[in-house]
Amino acid sequence: MNAVFSVSDLNHYVGEVLASDPVLSAVRVRGEISGFKKYPSGHLYFSLKDKESQVNCVAFRGNAAHFSFVPENGMSVIITARASLYDRDGRFQLVVYEMEKDGVGDLFAAFEKLKAQLEEEGIFDIAHKMAIPMLPRRIGVVTSPKGAVIQDIIHVLSRRFPNFDLLIYPSAVQGQTAAAEIRKGVEWFNTTDLVDVIIVARGGGSIEDLWCFNDEALARTIYHSHIPVISAVGHETDFTICDFASDLRAPTPSAAAEMVMPIKSELLAGINAQTDRLTRSLLHSVAIRKNRLMMLSRSKALLSPLRRVESESQRLDMLTLRLTHSLNRRVDSSARRIDKDIASLDALSPLKVLSRGYSLATNPITGSCITSVSQVSPGQPVQIQLADGLVHCKAENIQAGRIL
Amino acid sequence: MNQMQEYEKLSFEEAMIELESVVSKLDAGEGTLDESIALFQKGVMLSKLCSSRLEEIEKRVRVLTDDGLGTKKEIAFSEESTNKGEKE
Repeated sequence: MNAVFSVSDLNHYVGEVLASDPVLSAVRVRGEISGFKKYPSGHLYFSLKDKESQVNCVAFRGNAAHFSFVPENGMSVIITARASLYDRDGRFQLVVYEMEKDGVGDLFAAFEKLKAQLEEEGIFDIAHKMAIPMLPRRIGVVTSPKGAVIQDIIHVLSRRFPNFDLLIYPSAVQGQTAAAEIRKGVEWFNTTDLVDVIIVARGGGSIEDLWCFNDEALARTIYHSHIPVISAVGHETDFTICDFASDLRAPTPSAAAEMVMPIKSELLAGINAQTDRLTRSLLHSVAIRKNRLMMLSRSKALLSPLRRVESESQRLDMLTLRLTHSLNRRVDSSARRIDKDIASLDALSPLKVLSRGYSLATNPITGSCITSVSQVSPGQPVQIQLADGLVHCKAENIQAGRIL
Repeated sequence: MNQMQEYEKLSFEEAMIELESVVSKLDAGEGTLDESIALFQKGVMLSKLCSSRLEEIEKRVRVLTDDGLGTKKEIAFSEESTNKGEKE
């Protein structure tokens, strides 16, 4: 008969068999996580199951630390593990080395491919993006009318700008029909032209939940929208094709509400500041001119231009008068001097002297005046001119010396 | 006034930009007093326009519903209106 094993030996032997199997030493298994527990030691314990079966798994701290995500119950994953037997309980288990999300690899690859294609086409071009209006008169939002997202948006909007105007286009935001419904919403707003800006919003969720926002047709609809579109999908770390195609990406729906509507009190303060500046500027401008006017009015030169003309004209009159007087005086004195000259000329005239009884003696031979007795000798003819004729004489004797 | 009619077409944003430009021009203090007064009047008009743009937005939250014939109808939005559907 065969040898009888102890339990310990059996478990040890099975363990050896499992460990030496080339397939079971590095096996990849697909399944859903359940009964997940993380121990204080850092080791993870859970079951991996499918519709019919389940298997116990353990991920020791050293390996678990390298997982790219925190496992949760219900998550579909693919693990890489080795099969082993837990000696104490004789329990079969998988020791997990690596863990990845099931299907994520495919989704991620599809996402990258679509992103690259649309980028190439220019759907994400910065130059094509429209500015979000500073004050939208009406805001359109495509989202689920139920749940926290729309309530968050309403709450933020009413805090910033109490009299905001919001129009909700209800849409599924996950599942098979979601992408088409969201697209219809954006198209409806473009057809009706009732809003100044469109927000496409959805709360956080798994990559599968957000998948409808990675829709090619939706990206094109957003690109062609003539109304600016804000994409507010998921959490800050989630990026979707919709985010890239939109005119503005908001990290969360609440953030979209912050971005779309200004704070009313701040706008009012801004308007008031401008109005104050306006008034101050005008008053300043008037004050400057008033000051200038005062300076000018004090200046004598410009006090009255007419007065200056008057005073100049008066001065001119005075000068004219003085000139006339002076001229007259000069003319008068000249005239008087001429009269006097004429009179003295007359007085000096020899004829006038002769008429007063004087006579003029001349030498008839030389014709020169006899002014001295020495010019005359006895017997010499002397011509005496009187006022009315000549007397021809002969000198008889000469007597020198003053007689008159 | 012709200019007022022209302003009526401006959006809040455009009116605000125009107001800022008018204030800057007036601030520069160039031009005649008549020009300054004209700028001031223009600025006051724009300031009023900006304020009225803030107030003329009607406070409402509405949600679209299908009337069953393929056209959308706006109804007042509340948590109940979405859950009950037809009620306004």
